[in-house]
Amino acid sequence: MSTATAPAPAPLNRKLKRWPGWVVLLGVVIVALLIGSTRSTGPLTDEDRLDGIAQHIACPECEGESVYESQSPAAQNIRIQIKSLISQGTFSDDQIIAYVETNFGTKTQLVPKATGFDAVVWALPVFAGVCAIAGLTVAFRRWRSAADTVPTEADRAIVDAALAEQDDEH
Amino acid sequence: MSDAPTLVEPAAGGDAPARSRRVAPIIVLVVTLVIAGFFVILVRAKPDSSDTAYSPLIGKPAPAVQAMTLDGKAFDLQHRKGSWVVLNFFNATCGPCVQEHPELVKFAADQKALGGSGAELYSVVWNDLDGGTADFFRTNKVSWPVLIDKDANIAVKFGVAKVPETWIIDPNGYVVRRVISNLTDDELTRYLSIDQAISAGGAANGTPTATS
Amino acid sequence: MLGATVNGTLGHSVLLVGLICATFGALATVYGIRTGDSRLLRTTQRYAFGVALAGVAAFGVMERALVDRDFTLAYVQQVGSADTPFLFNITAIWSALEGSILLWLLILVGYTAVIARRFRKRLADPLVAWALVVMFVVCIFFFVLTLGPADAFRAGAIGVTKGTGPNPLLQNHILVLFHPPILYLGYVGMTVPFAFAIAALITGRVGERWLTETRRFALFAWGFLTIGILLGGWWSYEVLGWSGVWGWDPVENASLLPWLTGTAYIHSVLVQERRGMLRVWNLTLLVSTFALTILGTFLTRSGVIKSVHAFSNGTIGPYLLSFFGIVAVVSLGLIAWRGDRLRSPGAIDSPMSREGAFLANNVLFTVFAFVVLLGTVFPLIVEALQNRTIKVGSPYFESMVVPFGLVLLFLMAVAPVLPWRKASTELLRDRLFWPAWVGVIAMVVPLVFGATGFAALLAFGLGGFAAGAASRQLILATRRQGLRGLVGRANGGMVVHIGVIIVAVALVASTTYTHSSVIELTVGKQASYGGHTFELVAVEGFTTARSNGVRAKVRVDNAKDYSPAITTYTAFGSNVPTPSVRNGVLDDIYLTIEPGAAPGDKTATIKVFIKPLVVWLWIGGLLMVVGTGLSGFPGKRRRRPTDPTSAPIPIGPDPDPVSEEPVSV
Repeated sequence: MSTATAPAPAPLNRKLKRWPGWVVLLGVVIVALLIGSTRSTGPLTDEDRLDGIAQHIACPECEGESVYESQSPAAQNIRIQIKSLISQGTFSDDQIIAYVETNFGTKTQLVPKATGFDAVVWALPVFAGVCAIAGLTVAFRRWRSAADTVPTEADRAIVDAALAEQDDEH
Repeated sequence: MSDAPTLVEPAAGGDAPARSRRVAPIIVLVVTLVIAGFFVILVRAKPDSSDTAYSPLIGKPAPAVQAMTLDGKAFDLQHRKGSWVVLNFFNATCGPCVQEHPELVKFAADQKALGGSGAELYSVVWNDLDGGTADFFRTNKVSWPVLIDKDANIAVKFGVAKVPETWIIDPNGYVVRRVISNLTDDELTRYLSIDQAISAGGAANGTPTATS
Repeated sequence: MLGATVNGTLGHSVLLVGLICATFGALATVYGIRTGDSRLLRTTQRYAFGVALAGVAAFGVMERALVDRDFTLAYVQQVGSADTPFLFNITAIWSALEGSILLWLLILVGYTAVIARRFRKRLADPLVAWALVVMFVVCIFFFVLTLGPADAFRAGAIGVTKGTGPNPLLQNHILVLFHPPILYLGYVGMTVPFAFAIAALITGRVGERWLTETRRFALFAWGFLTIGILLGGWWSYEVLGWSGVWGWDPVENASLLPWLTGTAYIHSVLVQERRGMLRVWNLTLLVSTFALTILGTFLTRSGVIKSVHAFSNGTIGPYLLSFFGIVAVVSLGLIAWRGDRLRSPGAIDSPMSREGAFLANNVLFTVFAFVVLLGTVFPLIVEALQNRTIKVGSPYFESMVVPFGLVLLFLMAVAPVLPWRKASTELLRDRLFWPAWVGVIAMVVPLVFGATGFAALLAFGLGGFAAGAASRQLILATRRQGLRGLVGRANGGMVVHIGVIIVAVALVASTTYTHSSVIELTVGKQASYGGHTFELVAVEGFTTARSNGVRAKVRVDNAKDYSPAITTYTAFGSNVPTPSVRNGVLDDIYLTIEPGAAPGDKTATIKVFIKPLVVWLWIGGLLMVVGTGLSGFPGKRRRRPTDPTSAPIPIGPDPDPVSEEPVSV
């Protein structure tokens, strides 16, 4: 690392790019994210709530659409009912989703539960991510140790073959 | 990430390709196994047909239903205990429903003839956004009560996906059968008598049945 | 009956001719390669043209049958109707399974002919010959499909004189003319690089040259797949009435999967071209991309998964599944067989390098493709193992896409400034400083205008960061080379990146900040919502030959009238809502009419969605297309792929010989 080199009279651009500039940047980002994630999003209208709930319920008579997307009568019915439940003001979104599910059975369940075998669909992506990071780490470590090796006969053969192929071409 | 050249023993360097040769077959094997397993699942997969008459309500107490009838009377399913109740979900724009209608007229007449032991038939106006179905019942007067399903309350409580749909509720207020399709008078009578026989044959609640 | 089905006989005949041509083409080519008969090999392009003619003729015969309303064919009975307007009658060919396979075939034979023509001087080269064999084999498979389980020219029931026409949703918007063919150009185009990958494996010439042959084909297919997917989103937005562009439906996922692996490929191919590394990986990506197109078609066309877009179930499933199995077995076998030759000569020295970033990008795209595939087929797995029916819907995918999207945006910001081989922190600090501040501005400006939400703001910030990095590269390149600095894989790629970032930001904004309300409008009275005013002008009825409906004329902001409608197609009896959208630079106003309205009403219930930045989805998409085109042209520096960047060099301070000189912006 060459951060220890003598500080020559640097132009403004260079000075700005030293660590202080980055620290200021980081500070601004953290403050902005804090403000953005803590301040209230404003009151949700009943309609916004309805849309949110409907996106989590599968339309019972359609093929792969949510109640939010579908224009089928069954989906309309469920939307009307959700709307009436929302306007009563005493139910949470999760309660309303659970209510619809108890009546229609699992076929309106659009989001797999995080229990039982269904949890696999949530766990596997995390597992795949961990594997990917581990694989990358191992690969880079290996490459780093391999970088110093002397080329073997086999390596030379590959290079010769490639060069021969190139000569064919030109 | 140090820039200092690292000293590596030649042996370690020569070892690297050998190691990678040992890893590669394992990766190929794992990939092959995963694909093979996936393939087996795909071969066994059957075309998805989720139109079943299954309902989580069967064998359970019927949901509480309060509604107004078309001629302005209050209806409460709880108060119908003691007699068999048949609920028919109906929409006038649905072809099979209209087809089924005369059969229901016959069925209602049959049950009325049985007197006190006959089942009570109720029609539920389903998804009637433009009022057409209510009009249908105003022009085609029926001898049984027609329920107005405000806010799709009854439809969602019973989990109705597609009309015509018919539900049978026993005198104890338990759901015993759901039928998804248009019925004839004979079929409905037969289903009802099966349910009545099972109910009479011992089990207090009847055996859960579902018919498609 | 035979006399009646002229078109049927004609169609079957040309398909049979095509099948024979493709079979003979494959056999002759293999024979020519085995015997080294270069004269025979030079004639193989005739077979390719024969196949192409047959495919085009089959498509033409079906179009003729549709235009003539030849109801002797079962397919015309299914999708044809005397009332369908000419345009939608033309597009009716791809509105059901059999015809969509014909479209697939048409494009496939087109690509086969293009390859035969493009490489006409090198047909005797075993690499090209084997690639052509693979194309012929895929053609054979699709000819078999069109003659067997997806027979579009089957005679229909006798005496039928009218049909219902295509599904109402497939006959009410002009995009139905563009979306399917363009999507298929991309989807089917992935066959070409696949064919060359297999050819490279068979001939053992796994060096970098076969890549340069197909990179442009891969880019072309990828570009069309991108446009196809975006047009699909646009079509959904304009037609379906729920105001969304992407529903994570199995069919949509089936088009996304090859796009994801294809995107990974067009990045990692650069590492192979430059450093000779990741050979197995690139071959695997190409093979997976092609296999995923077949798998996706199987999943959505065999009926094992339900989808809004699925066609009626045929017997096509086992064929597609078998083909998928063959592709998987052959490819895996070949890769295992050639494994020794695929060993890369070289190493990635540091994760902080261009190739390190490409590798990370690849891992991300692959893991995400895995997640999408998992979510799509998980219901099948549960059904097979536990005999239960479950669904995996958009909320699942939406929660999965957020982390991937954020990390990808971050990579897009860092990767363009990274040199090959190795970067120092100092260099990063220098090159990333101003792009990072662009990111800060992109985060703070929306915040000032009231934006909320951690993920959304982070996405804006990272998007700005990435856009800054891409712009920096473009500014440096144009400063040095003028307008030529916009051309070439790296710089054209940066234009694509800016397009992607715009699409990403627009997606985040439009999904996070959409608000909707149901408004009861009365004639002559103004209502307001979300800073706009709405006034009902009239509720009108309308009738056409094939439909009748009702629409509400709504005056928005005292200016223009918009007419959301509900149309009832008499042949189907189903109600199709048609939204009406006012596009704006900052937000779209998306109007739909709620069911229950009747002509002449003095009131109407309207649902209003205010959706920010939707227009930028299409602008970003356009930029992606332009960038893809730019990166298809060769850039300034032409390097021979075998030039020795892949030879071992000593570890030490790297003068960064290949990327731009360290200029500060």
